[in-house]
Amino acid sequence: MSAAESATAIHRNQVDLLDFIDWSGVECLNQSSSHPLPNALKQGYREDEGLNLESDADEQLLIYIPFTQVIKLHSIVVMGSEEDGPKTVKLFANREHMGFSNVSDFPPSDTVVLSQDNLKGKPVVVKYVKFQNVRSLTIFIEDNQSGLEITKVQKIALYGSTVETTDMKGLKKIEDH
Amino acid sequence: MVLEATMICIDNSEWMRNGDYSPSRFQAQADAVSLICGAKTQSNPENTVGILTMAGKGVRVLATPTSDLGKVLSCMHGLEMGGEMNLAAGIQIAQLALKHRQNKNQQQRIIVFAGSPIKHEKKALEMIGKKLKKNSVALDIVNFGEDEDGKPEKLEALLASVNNNDTSHIVHVPAGQNALSDVLISTPVFTGDGEGGSGFAAAAAAAAAGGVSDFDFGVDPNIDPELALALRVSMEEERARQEAAAKRAAEEATRQEKGEEAQPQSDSQNATMNATEKASDPMDEDDALLKQALALSMNIPGSDSSAGDAQMSEATNDDQEFALALQMSMQDGSKDSSDQSDVSKVLGDQSFMSSILSSLPGVDPNDPKVKDLLASLPSQSEPQEKKEEDEQPKDDK
Repeated sequence: MSAAESATAIHRNQVDLLDFIDWSGVECLNQSSSHPLPNALKQGYREDEGLNLESDADEQLLIYIPFTQVIKLHSIVVMGSEEDGPKTVKLFANREHMGFSNVSDFPPSDTVVLSQDNLKGKPVVVKYVKFQNVRSLTIFIEDNQSGLEITKVQKIALYGSTVETTDMKGLKKIEDH
Repeated sequence: MVLEATMICIDNSEWMRNGDYSPSRFQAQADAVSLICGAKTQSNPENTVGILTMAGKGVRVLATPTSDLGKVLSCMHGLEMGGEMNLAAGIQIAQLALKHRQNKNQQQRIIVFAGSPIKHEKKALEMIGKKLKKNSVALDIVNFGEDEDGKPEKLEALLASVNNNDTSHIVHVPAGQNALSDVLISTPVFTGDGEGGSGFAAAAAAAAAGGVSDFDFGVDPNIDPELALALRVSMEEERARQEAAAKRAAEEATRQEKGEEAQPQSDSQNATMNATEKASDPMDEDDALLKQALALSMNIPGSDSSAGDAQMSEATNDDQEFALALQMSMQDGSKDSSDQSDVSKVLGDQSFMSSILSSLPGVDPNDPKVKDLLASLPSQSEPQEKKEEDEQPKDDK
């Protein structure tokens, strides 16, 4: 089994979790108002190379993504340019309302250092065991590739699978016979 | 209406003893703070406000963000002045207090009253501002009191580094006639990002700034556009009503002369006149408009019946009688029996009634009283209608 094969084998069961993102609760701290988070997350926007998520006051970004149902996270894709794409990315599962001050308060569920390949689109597999029961994901982008003032992210994609949770809308009363 | 947690940083340094703002800088500041607290809690009941002092022995948090207005206001009592203001520490501690707010969904805002000289460097302030922006904390700065060189520039630099999409503001309040609170009321500090402001602010503005205001009704349309609009509309309505009343009064005078000379075509004319004179005292808004219609219609039969169109005279007759009927039913006044019969005959003509109703501005056709009136009288009108038709051919000639 080559590395490429195993990578694709893993991906067979994984879906793009874009459909399960609860957009009403999505937040991003330190984003520039002209280059906000949807540029990197939303379908269509993220494919457009001209539209990036950019940081504002400094190079760090804190992204909070809640989901509409419980998911298992398998891998992520973070795309950006060579110089100002993200480098160190910390993932926190199920931590709400984090701020830049408490990112160091608890250990991340996983830490990813992005290589140039990753920035071109190669998915990064995360520690699957830590992301079995994820209601919300916090992505902390700590720095960028060249240490520049502004970090630019072109695309963020999450891959995983859903846990079988009850669809409350589908609950119907059983007719008594 | 935005959900917000606010920390107010008060300057209680020695410089606040100065009396260039009446009664003293500190007192003016305290009034402004009370007003702000009230405005914030009123605009959204879930808003929270906290207070801290920046001078004295050190930065001290008097109240953490709470929605209990009484607690916040009571903290303002017994505050002592002294020492020097520490702006940087004050803002940072305010940020910390906001970080630990209970409701994480609230937007974070800091309001700083900078009355004494600022000893920090511009660079340091800019760093603080950047940190605030990074954590999406908005900042409002009230620059008053001491006016040393470089203070406005430092504060502007601080604002520029915090400002994200105009959520942060700075207000420079010079010493003088106007109280600090009055000046603040018309600023975004109170009105909050151009939302139109709370009723609290508008009421305070109307009360306090009556003489100073440039606007028509003492209410700044920027603060409370709905209130200003409502006032303007009611003024116009009042004006229209007064014009109608004046017109009616003039016509009543002429009508009274003619009415006594002209031969009454039916009893109704005399009766209506009597009734209108009787009814002229209690004036309802609807009645005033009805009177106007009445008076207008009276003019035409008063001149000469043959000159008028048959339809027209019938219409005007009906008009007077209908107006009479409505006003009588509303007042529950005494009625002549002749009036009653004429009224009923007129009211029997349903389609005509509805057209009259829609044309009279003061009457709502869907008013239950009017509907009842229409429903109750058609039965009585039938014998009277024939009588009316007999009269009609006479009118033609």
